[in-house]
Amino acid sequence: MDAMERRVFLKRAGMGMLAFTVGGADVLMTPGQARAQGVPFRLLKAHEAETIEALGETLVPGAQRSGVAHFIDQQVSVSPGEALLEARQLNVKPPFINFYRAAIGAVDRAAEARSKRRFAALAGTEQHDFVDAMRQNKIDGWQGPAGSFVYLVLRSDSIDVVYGTMEGYEALGVPYMPHIAPDKRW
Amino acid sequence: MATQEKVDAVIVGAGASGSVFAAVLAKAGKKVVMMDNGPDWQSSDLISSDIWGRRVKPAGAPFILEGKHPVSMGAQGGWGVGGAALHYFANFPRLLPNDFRIKSEHNRAHDWPISYEEVAPFYDKIAHEIGVSGDAAAEELWRPKGQPYPMPPMRTFRNGQVWLKGFEANGIRMVPAAVGMNSTEFKGRAACIYDGWCHVGCPIGALANPLVTFLADARKAGAEVRAWSTVTRVLTDTSGNKVTGVEYYDRNHEKQVQPASVVVLAAWAAQNPRLLLNSATDKHDKGLANRNGLVGKYLMTHFASGTNAMFDEDVQNHMGTLGAQYMSYERYGKSAHKGAFGSTFIVAGSSIKLSGLGGLANTRPDLFGEALHAFVKRAVKNLARMNAFGEEQPKIENRLELASEKDEFGMPLGRIIHSYDDNDTALWNANFEEGLKIAKATDSKEVWQGRAAPPTIHLMGGTIMGTGAANSVVDSFGQTHEVPNLYCAGPGIFATAGASNPTYTIFALSLRGAEHLAKNWSSVAG
Repeated sequence: MDAMERRVFLKRAGMGMLAFTVGGADVLMTPGQARAQGVPFRLLKAHEAETIEALGETLVPGAQRSGVAHFIDQQVSVSPGEALLEARQLNVKPPFINFYRAAIGAVDRAAEARSKRRFAALAGTEQHDFVDAMRQNKIDGWQGPAGSFVYLVLRSDSIDVVYGTMEGYEALGVPYMPHIAPDKRW
Repeated sequence: MATQEKVDAVIVGAGASGSVFAAVLAKAGKKVVMMDNGPDWQSSDLISSDIWGRRVKPAGAPFILEGKHPVSMGAQGGWGVGGAALHYFANFPRLLPNDFRIKSEHNRAHDWPISYEEVAPFYDKIAHEIGVSGDAAAEELWRPKGQPYPMPPMRTFRNGQVWLKGFEANGIRMVPAAVGMNSTEFKGRAACIYDGWCHVGCPIGALANPLVTFLADARKAGAEVRAWSTVTRVLTDTSGNKVTGVEYYDRNHEKQVQPASVVVLAAWAAQNPRLLLNSATDKHDKGLANRNGLVGKYLMTHFASGTNAMFDEDVQNHMGTLGAQYMSYERYGKSAHKGAFGSTFIVAGSSIKLSGLGGLANTRPDLFGEALHAFVKRAVKNLARMNAFGEEQPKIENRLELASEKDEFGMPLGRIIHSYDDNDTALWNANFEEGLKIAKATDSKEVWQGRAAPPTIHLMGGTIMGTGAANSVVDSFGQTHEVPNLYCAGPGIFATAGASNPTYTIFALSLRGAEHLAKNWSSVAG
C-alpha cells in the first residue's frame, strides 16, 4: 500500500467510518449514522434496501438501526479490493452487487409466492419462519443463490454491524483490546 | 510492452516462501525482484478488526471452485505483500517422521523424496531466525530430539486450561503449543500482549509474519518488492530448456517483461500451477514442467473437527492468541483411529472474537434473531473450543486446470476441483467422536459440534515433490525436473499433507531450497 492509499485507509479505519455521499461530497460516518441521516443509497434501490433491512433485523436484532443496508450499499459501491464484506471470504464473485441483487430477488420472489407480499411486508413471525426455512433450503420454488448461502452472507453482514464493531463489543461488555484501534466504533 | 533490466532472480509472490528465497538470495549478493499482485502492506495497515482485516485477503480470486468440497479460497488465501502469512495463526507444529514415508510404511499415497532428518535442521534454523515459542523437549514425546526453541511457551488462559481435564481423561497428553510468536521480546520485536487479533495481522511484530522477518531481511539486503504486479506467464528460450523471465502487468495494467536468470514461483499452491499451465509453448505444449501431466494434480487440504463447549466460569475468550495454547501429536499415527487412515493434530485454547467466519457468533450458525442474541450474551464469557485437524490423503482427481473464462489480464481462470473421499470423512468423523468424549470429560455441561460439511483448511500440493519426473513436478528443493532454472516454493511442493499447520514447514523447506540454490547458483543459472 503506498503512502497516499495508506493515509486515506488509516484515516477511515482510525475514525471507524466509511465514505458516504452527501450532497455530492464524500462524508465519513458510520453506517448507523448514515441511516439516521437518511443518506441516499448509491446502488441499492429503495425496495432492495428495505428487504435488506428487514432481513438483517430478523437475523440479528439491531441490524436495521446499525445501518446494515447502508453498510452493504457502501461496500458494493467500492472496488472489490476495497470492500470489507464477508462475501469476500466466502468466494462470492465480484462485483458483489450482483450477488446481493440476486439474493434480494430470490427472497422477495419466494415471499410473494408464499404470502403474496414482499419479505419486508411480512409479519415478524412470518419473517422468522421464512428465514428458518430459507437457511435450511426448504423453500419450494426458490430461484437464486442457495437459501442457506443467502442466510450465511446476510447473517454475517448483520453480525458485523451489530456485534463486530467496538460499539458492539462494548454493548456486550467484552474488552475490545485493539493493537491499532478503530477508535470510533469500528 | 516494455522490457525491464535483467535481474538474477525474479520471485513471484511475496509471502512466506517467496520472502525466504528473496532474503537468502539477496544476502548472497543476487539481484532480486519480488512480484506481488496486491498492495504493499505495512504493519501499520493491520487494523484490529474482523471487518477491516478482510482487506488483506483475496477479493474475487481468479479461481472457479468446484467439487463436493470446494476449496476455501477467500478465507485461506493471501492478497498483497506478506501473502497469507500476513493473517495466519502462526501455529508451528512440524511434520513428523511418519509423514515422509507413508508409501513405505503403509503402501498408500507417496513417500517424500527426503526424510524428516533432512528437514529437521531447517525447522531449528527457522525457529532461531524468526522466533518460535514452545517447549521442544516436551514435543520430543513424539519426535526426534532437536534444538530447544529460543523462547519459552506462551501464557495460557482459562479458555485453554478448561480442556486439560478432558484430554487427561482420554489419555491424550497435551504440551505447550509451538507458535511463531514472541513470548518474550525477540530480536528487537515486541512480546505478544495476548489481545487475540492474530488473524487480522499483528502490527506490533510479535507474530512472525513475513513483513517483520524474511521480507524485512530481503529488503535490507537490496531485494526490490514490486507490488501491484501480476505475473501471467513464465517465459522460456527457444530451446524450451531454460526460463528467461516473466511477463507481467504493472499497476497501470501495462504489459511488462522482467528478464531473470532464475524464476521462483512462490504464489501459493493454486496460482503456481495456474502460471505453469498458462506458460505453454510449442516446446511445452501442456504447460511448463508438465510433460508428465502432474502440474495442478494432488491438491490437498486439512479438515478440522471442532468441538465447542460452554463453561460456567468466565473463560476470558477475548484474550490469548488465535492459534493454540496446547497441542498434541497423540493421534498423529496414520492408523491412530480404527477405520480411518491419516494423522490428526489436536489443539486447544484460543481467543474467539465476536464476528468473522471463525468468530463466536458462527459457532452456532443455526441461530438467528433473539435466540442468537441470547446465545452471544452467554458465549462471550463462557465459550471455549478445541480442534482436531485431519490429514487428507492425496488424490490425483483433486486438481487445478485452466478454465475457458479469463481474468482482466486475459489469463484463463483456474478451476479447482476438490472432494474428500470416504476415508477422509471417516477420519473427520472419528475426530468428532473423540472431541465429544474429551469435552464430556471436562466440567462443561453444554457441548456441541458443527458437522455440516468437512471444511477445507490450508491448501497444499499441485506441484508436488518427488524422486523424479515420473512421479512429481519438483525435487525436494523445489527445482522443477523439466526446467532447471525454474523453481516452485510453498505448500504446493508438499508430497503429502500431514496434519500439521503448514507454514513452519513452508519456511523450513523454502530455506532449504533457497540455500541449495544459492550454493549451486552457477550451475542452475547458467
